[in-house]
Amino acid sequence: MSIVTVQLGQCGNQIGYEVFNAICSDFHSTHGICSKKENESYQEACKERFFSEEKTGVPVARAVLVDMEPKVISQTLSMAARSGHWKYDHQSHFCQKQGSGNNWANGYSVHGPRYRDVIMNLVQKEAEKCDRLSGFFTVMSMAGGTGSGMGAYVTQCLRDAFPTSFILNQVIWPYGTGEVIVQNYNSVLTLSHLYQSSDALLVHENDAIHKICAQLMNIKKISFRDVNQVIAHQLGSVFQPTYSSEGASQYSRSPLGDLMESLVPHPELKMLGLRNIPQMSENSLAYSTFTWPGLIKHLRQMLIAHAKMEEGIDWQVRPPLPGHPVPPKASPNQALHFNTSVANLVVLRGKDVQSVDLGGFRDPALYTSWLNPQEAFHIWKTPRAFNKYEKSASLVSNSQFLLQLMDNVVGKAWNMFASKAYVHQYTKFGIEEEDFLDCFTTLEQVISSYASL
Amino acid sequence: MWRGRAGALPAAIGALCRALPPGSRPAPEAFRLAKFDRPEASLQIWRLLYSLLKQIHDGGWTELDTIGTQIRFVKSVLWYHGYGRPEFYQLPSDGSQGSRELLLAFSWLLNRISLLEQLLTVNRVKIRDEASVCTCEDNLSNSWKDRTEIALEPCLKREVDVRYLQWLNGRLRFQWRSLHVESQEQCKLLHKIHSYTSGCHMDQTIGHFSVTETDLIRQPDSYKQLLQSLESETSRLEAFLEWKRLEPVYWHWMETVLDTLSEDANTFKSEGVCKEKNTLPNANLCCHIASNIIGEIDKLTKDLVTLHDGLHELVTCKKSAWYEKVKSRERTLPDEREFCAAVRTITEAVKLKLSDLKYHCAHKKNGMHGPYRLVFKDKRSASKTGFLSSVSKEPITNVVNATEVISKLQMEEATLKRELKRLQEECRHKLDEIAEGLVGVICIPPMKR
Repeated sequence: MSIVTVQLGQCGNQIGYEVFNAICSDFHSTHGICSKKENESYQEACKERFFSEEKTGVPVARAVLVDMEPKVISQTLSMAARSGHWKYDHQSHFCQKQGSGNNWANGYSVHGPRYRDVIMNLVQKEAEKCDRLSGFFTVMSMAGGTGSGMGAYVTQCLRDAFPTSFILNQVIWPYGTGEVIVQNYNSVLTLSHLYQSSDALLVHENDAIHKICAQLMNIKKISFRDVNQVIAHQLGSVFQPTYSSEGASQYSRSPLGDLMESLVPHPELKMLGLRNIPQMSENSLAYSTFTWPGLIKHLRQMLIAHAKMEEGIDWQVRPPLPGHPVPPKASPNQALHFNTSVANLVVLRGKDVQSVDLGGFRDPALYTSWLNPQEAFHIWKTPRAFNKYEKSASLVSNSQFLLQLMDNVVGKAWNMFASKAYVHQYTKFGIEEEDFLDCFTTLEQVISSYASL
Repeated sequence: MWRGRAGALPAAIGALCRALPPGSRPAPEAFRLAKFDRPEASLQIWRLLYSLLKQIHDGGWTELDTIGTQIRFVKSVLWYHGYGRPEFYQLPSDGSQGSRELLLAFSWLLNRISLLEQLLTVNRVKIRDEASVCTCEDNLSNSWKDRTEIALEPCLKREVDVRYLQWLNGRLRFQWRSLHVESQEQCKLLHKIHSYTSGCHMDQTIGHFSVTETDLIRQPDSYKQLLQSLESETSRLEAFLEWKRLEPVYWHWMETVLDTLSEDANTFKSEGVCKEKNTLPNANLCCHIASNIIGEIDKLTKDLVTLHDGLHELVTCKKSAWYEKVKSRERTLPDEREFCAAVRTITEAVKLKLSDLKYHCAHKKNGMHGPYRLVFKDKRSASKTGFLSSVSKEPITNVVNATEVISKLQMEEATLKRELKRLQEECRHKLDEIAEGLVGVICIPPMKR
């Protein structure tokens, strides 16, 4: 049940570091109000999942770091080693001197094939260290050149080399007003290519996380580090060990497999969104208490009303009444009021998880007509609390969360493409206009599948 | 004839009962009651049959079924094995009567499917070092189509969203992948155990510990359980040997049971009791299947005849065309050396094509099948690594090389892949044809990787 993480590009490496950091601090956290035995089996499961043993006794993260520039990787490696609690394997990284210049085609058609053997060798070595390889978890951003372009190529290679493993791509959606002019092209190309090889795409939006930092965490000057830490916290709260079925006697041994089977069996519906509650600064945490009914109610409304965090939720949005079907949307550009889900997964951690009532999530009105809640809704639980949160709930949802986002990006990219802006930068490296058209078509298909839920 | 063996019958039945797995043993008294068709024994024998057949078919996983479900299960298993006595299938589903019929069915199973031997095999103490190998030819591909057609007819045709079917298909694929991950893990761990404990085993031909033995080393206190199960198995085997010795007594006794049965049947006939309508399980389905099989046989014979005729025609056509070609070629004959070289290349090419076919036909006979024990041989020793030997034989006679099995399976994989590709191409052509027929529709193929 080990997960091998592949950190791609600057963004991927920074976030990957924060993820392992968050997991490690959760590992050592003494806040858990569960029994010693429970804590021990949790720690053992966590260790097997993310770290391998070494003679020095310091756990080594199961990760491969890839970037075209040396700066970020060396920073990451040294920060990890300095922590004293964990580190990366210093052999498991690959970098070059040049960078990809935010050019997707450069990453995909040039760097990818050139360094493919070296990178796959590193991945193979990490995979062999695992007794039981649950799958691969890649972290990348969509806007840049290395993470997105090379990341798409590496994912394809992973799929070819490990046809039966599970591959989950963690994708960072760039700021709407981002710095990279061609980020829409990069996003479209990345998404469409990932859709062919990956099993699921888990999306985090920079804009949304930024708002969380500003409004919930009360951070004045928000740096990338803060954003990354929030993302890491959200990921950790999903991927730390849990019991994935009622009456299970041991922590789940295939987290990625369980996730995939519950949420993304349909080949056209692979986009996942992640919400986590509660989320606040550590200072406020000491003075807050939570109740499960309150948390669950907020989480449910966040799901229904497309809310990205627990503040500013639109409580007017209600699920459609039975017998009154949701009016068909004329175009996805209309503001979607109600979020129809395909499948949802709720992860509960902390005190009194056994008593939580999740009936609200089993309402058939929340789900698409062709799937009933018994098959669409899943729960993972553990009595062991995560980090400093006495109670926390996360929601991984395969729903129309990302519909608007995708539609926007495809629209903007299409406008640029129609006027052939910057296309020569891509054709220079072998990505032809037909390839662009293929990508647009694929994404339109995905958008239409989600819009017709 | 019977007097001398008066004491032998209880001994035989006793041995039979002791050879059955613990937990599924009937009281010997039940047999006597059954001979005289006493209703008290019928429920007991139904339960006995259910438990025994479940062990063989489902690995012993007994659900808390009602007696009705249990009886249905037993009837369907006996139908599957070809038991044809209509009186058995007419027995009521509350288990209140028919102990004599059940006794007959039980004895039939003993003989027909070697019930005892199967039970003993299934309940062996496991060393958990097993892999099951099957390289038999799979001839089931054509029968699937017809089976699904039979299955659909009785069901009501419901509207199912195709997306739901895609969902279920995806789940199945993911579950298969998880299974794959699990078996890879098992292989890895087995390899670790075998390599770490090499040189420890007393039996030199094996040389390393099995999983059960390693477990015993790690948890010495579990030896009691293991000892108990071994003792139980030994006593069952001894009872089986005794049963084999006394078996003829049992069959003589069963003949007397058949005699009493025919006597009672005659009495019933004279009383003029009319039999109930045939209530075979799923009678309609069975008749349907039976007539389908006959239809299938007719179809196959017709197909064979047409194929044969078509082949004959084709051969004569090709032969005549060939002769003409040869005649025209004869006029423009190259010099002899070139000709011989040409003939040689042609014979080689033909040999290559035929050898594949020959290999295919020859190896149909010796397909490896069944459970094998995995024995790991180090590269340093003379024999090859990954050496499998059959579980039951001593000294080892049925030995199979893992690399051989792997290459066979890889060849089969390649054939199946070719078949899949061919079927995909067929589907693609069909879809293209359909798409051409649709007006105002553009078909967009999926993205090329």
